[in-house]
Amino acid sequence: MTTTGQVTNRKPILQSVWETVEGYLYLAPSLIILGVFVYYPIVRSFNLSLTRVAPFGNATRYVGFENYQRLLTELVEGGDYAIYLKNSLLFMLGTVPTGIIIAVGLAVALSYPLKRLSWFHRLLIFLPIVISSAVTGVLFRLLYNPAVGYINHWLSFIGIQEGPNWLSSKDWALIAVIIAVVWRQLGFNVIIALAGVQNIDTTYYEAAKVDGANLWSRIRHITIPLLSPTLFFLAIINVINSLTTFGEINILTDGGPGQATTTMVYAIFVDAFIGTPLRGFASAQAYLLALLIVIMSVIQFSGIGRRVHYT
Amino acid sequence: MSSISDQINSSDAKESAKIVTPRSFNWNDFGLQVFLIVVGLIIALPIIIAIFTSFKSIPEFNANPNALLPRDWTFENYRRAWNSTPFGRYLINSVIQSGIIVACQVLFSILAAFAFSFLTFRGRDAMFYLILGSLMVPFQLTFIPSFLIISNLPANCMEVFGETAAFCDQLGANSYFGLTVPFLASAFGVFLLRQFFLSLPKDLHDSAKIDGASNFRFLWQIVVPLSRGAVSALTIFSFLNAWSQYLWPLIITNEQSMRTIQIGIRFFLFDQERGVEWGPLMAGAVIVMLPTLVLFLVAQRQLVQGIAMTGIK
Repeated sequence: MTTTGQVTNRKPILQSVWETVEGYLYLAPSLIILGVFVYYPIVRSFNLSLTRVAPFGNATRYVGFENYQRLLTELVEGGDYAIYLKNSLLFMLGTVPTGIIIAVGLAVALSYPLKRLSWFHRLLIFLPIVISSAVTGVLFRLLYNPAVGYINHWLSFIGIQEGPNWLSSKDWALIAVIIAVVWRQLGFNVIIALAGVQNIDTTYYEAAKVDGANLWSRIRHITIPLLSPTLFFLAIINVINSLTTFGEINILTDGGPGQATTTMVYAIFVDAFIGTPLRGFASAQAYLLALLIVIMSVIQFSGIGRRVHYT
Repeated sequence: MSSISDQINSSDAKESAKIVTPRSFNWNDFGLQVFLIVVGLIIALPIIIAIFTSFKSIPEFNANPNALLPRDWTFENYRRAWNSTPFGRYLINSVIQSGIIVACQVLFSILAAFAFSFLTFRGRDAMFYLILGSLMVPFQLTFIPSFLIISNLPANCMEVFGETAAFCDQLGANSYFGLTVPFLASAFGVFLLRQFFLSLPKDLHDSAKIDGASNFRFLWQIVVPLSRGAVSALTIFSFLNAWSQYLWPLIITNEQSMRTIQIGIRFFLFDQERGVEWGPLMAGAVIVMLPTLVLFLVAQRQLVQGIAMTGIK
């Protein structure tokens, strides 16, 4: 009698212990991977950013915030880091608004219920989503080539006989990378924008039509305000993507000519892996870049996007 | 979730709702058709050019590089590309790398999402936010330490298991383990599947328990089969990302035999010392994009669904 009483008393405890163990067994693979390759590196990266490799040796030594100081000095005095920041911001300004405007325009056009071929339009317009950044770089190397490339060839049709030297001109290289990246991300942006456009209740348009609103005022007064959460999401995602774009820069320009296309993320790669690795200095740069990105993510996660409406 | 992708993929619903007068020619529709076809062709043009250039013979390309269509179609460029750099090896590496990443991401996401949606235990919600929070950590912050961890792993392993432990070499840079291990878990996948699992009726779990099924059996025999759509969307989405990876495979491999195809095409471009041979290069580019292009053509619906879901919170 007493033993059965003990068993029934103990069973819920054992059971709740087992339930906890079982729960963590299901989580274990994800937690271990994310712990080792996301959470631990956050700490390790910060420690690294406080070190420097001693000259004439492999020993790293602790230097406090020296790497950060150096970056701030460069920033203030218009040194390398100021150039990288400027390139990143120009790249952002070149890719984000252009990409979103084109995507929304195409989404509005695609949302119109055509009787025929609408699958075909989607197919062609979505196509770039399956193209990797490496392939994008290679394709645009051909398009931009001054001797055999197509872009300057076509420019000659509209009267521009001497097209720019896209990839080797300091004035055009960043624009060349921007065009390639806008192209690669177009499919993604259109899909998101289209999902947003098609979520808008069609009765608004019908009412506006009855009131005699033309196409532009319907876009201006119905589509854009009701699309603002989607636009906000696209803006944040595209800003983060623009801050982290790497593949196209690596293949098209390798950060050049000079430093014309070295963005913040590209500088991290160069400092950490090209020539003498300056991993401490690169880690300090990574921390500053991550700070920018985390601010963007926090804004997005905090749900401000859901409250944006009726601008 | 699926309703939005349905909307994206078919305008049928709206069409049928609209009353169409038969046989009337609509100039608006016609203009939009022309506009969309022109824009679509412009967008697809870089891909079309690559495909056409890959089938042009080298003399023909040199004589007339800007003609769009090849006069004589030839596989010569593919032969040259295939023979001058180990594309076959790169393809195998990419298939193995993507295969490992996709299999683990999907499996681990299913397991974690199940715990978050069907089990109750201490610390569950905290763990969920811990996993979700990793989405905010940019790869640019973690890749230098990850590189150091992987590079030092063989040495660390030998310290523990002795110098003779041969498997230690399989853990470092230039290994499939090193190529894939940082990406084996996907916070996005956990989040996505959890959302879907939560939409399944709770009664299912209760009746499975009454029937004496273990949680594990319930997961694989009831939950996963019911979530086939969400799981396949995640699979395709995660394959696309894994296949296209660039920065990590670039830094973690320096032996040609371990390069993925994305890195292979980069070196195929940069290793051409006497001027770039565009025909073979474009043939290489077509080889690299073919798997994802085919995937797009056969599974456009799931792919679009997977991408549209990234925008839904």
